[in-house]
Amino acid sequence: MIKKILLIEDDKFLRELMTKKLFSMDYDVSSSVDGESGLEMIKEKQPDLVLLDLILPGMNGFEVLERAKKDPEINNIPIIILSNLGQKEDIDKGLELGAKDFLIKAHFTPQEIANKLKNILG
Amino acid sequence: MEEDKTKEITRAAILNILEDSDELIKQNSKEKKRYRSIMDNLNDGIIILDKKYQIEFINSEALIFLDLDKREVEGKSLLNLIQKKDLEDFFIKDGEVKNFEKKELIINDYCLLVSSLFLSEGFLIIISNASNDKLIERRESDFISIAAHQLRTPLSAIKWTTRMILDGDAGDINEEQRSLLEKTYLSNEKMIYLINDLLDVSKIEENKFIYNKIDYSLEEILNKSLKRFKDILEIKNINLKIHKPDQFLPKVKIDKSKMEIVFQKLIENAIKYSLKGGEISITLEKDDKNVIFKIKDYGAGIPKDQQERIFSKFFRGSNAVKLETDGTGLGLYTTKSIINSHKGKIWFESVEGEGTTFYFTIPIN
Repeated sequence: MIKKILLIEDDKFLRELMTKKLFSMDYDVSSSVDGESGLEMIKEKQPDLVLLDLILPGMNGFEVLERAKKDPEINNIPIIILSNLGQKEDIDKGLELGAKDFLIKAHFTPQEIANKLKNILG
Repeated sequence: MEEDKTKEITRAAILNILEDSDELIKQNSKEKKRYRSIMDNLNDGIIILDKKYQIEFINSEALIFLDLDKREVEGKSLLNLIQKKDLEDFFIKDGEVKNFEKKELIINDYCLLVSSLFLSEGFLIIISNASNDKLIERRESDFISIAAHQLRTPLSAIKWTTRMILDGDAGDINEEQRSLLEKTYLSNEKMIYLINDLLDVSKIEENKFIYNKIDYSLEEILNKSLKRFKDILEIKNINLKIHKPDQFLPKVKIDKSKMEIVFQKLIENAIKYSLKGGEISITLEKDDKNVIFKIKDYGAGIPKDQQERIFSKFFRGSNAVKLETDGTGLGLYTTKSIINSHKGKIWFESVEGEGTTFYFTIPIN
């Protein structure tokens, strides 16, 4: 079965690049550009995995993560943080809130990110 | 008559007392004025509270720091006047003013060092302004963190795009295009590394760099670090010799990821400043108190007149700049900071044109 991935990312270009990569690997990719709509889409689409940016307009990624993990309908969906924050404090906070992994965008290529997802999705 | 005399004496005495007390009052108020003007001209804020935390005295600096109006405060309880949450947390615990506390607080753009002291009849609170230097330092450091994040976003876009084009995700490319894009990709990677170095430095300056030290083998970290250099060693055809003692090297208390940075920077430098076909030797050994790491190259060396500055931030040797145009001048600064915070020592021996040996030690617990 085709796996569904939700990408929550406000930067248009990065979103397009990542979407293109994931499409090419036969994932069903949807995306949203801010925290509020992202959280709504997690509930609505029930994706197999979420890639979540942290600095977002309005509700930030930490809040999205926190709310998602508190919601019994969606709290089992793995969420991977994909952000350019990457200070020790940010990473600790993200993992504590229940993120499956914390990837710094500038440190990984789209292929490497996609490989990480593949490992989790099987 | 006797009575009159007595009355007169009494009157004189009372007058005397009154005069004296008048004098005392005058003196007293003069003293008080003097002491107020001294207090008001201090650079520190002073607050004296009575047992019920009511303000007996507050000088002008304290009013400025806490953004209070003099007319509103005297005789009032400090507990009612302080609205700011962090101030409240500092002064008050379980409804009482804390004793002997000393803490740095940022209030209204001031960086304040606040201490409270229990007196026999109340409290003395001293607020010193630690602003300028500290605040500037903190702002610089915040600036670096934010700038680093903002810079990484466009760099990610460049990295992702070039890599995807190189991987053929946007169709075939010819060899010339490939070679140009490979170079673009590498330049961009250097920029990303530079940002990481800057972030490390800003953390070092905030004293927030070393996190969790655990007992771990330096040898293992060295082996892991060496793997990264396999390709470049082959490309530069460098003969790497590793000497380890036969005896067992004890584990030492270290922050693993930070020690990786140390090895990475020292090995990177040795390779960078070695000529093609050169040799590098690494030794890991121990004495009674320390594990000792040594890395020797036969490369460019450090000019004698610049050796003193080699661990300074942003410093690069003049010959290093000519030989390798990239390099941030942050590597050895970061390395030394890491070694220092492990209570180790780092030093080097170098002759320009002959090579350099770097040493560091980490104490065995």
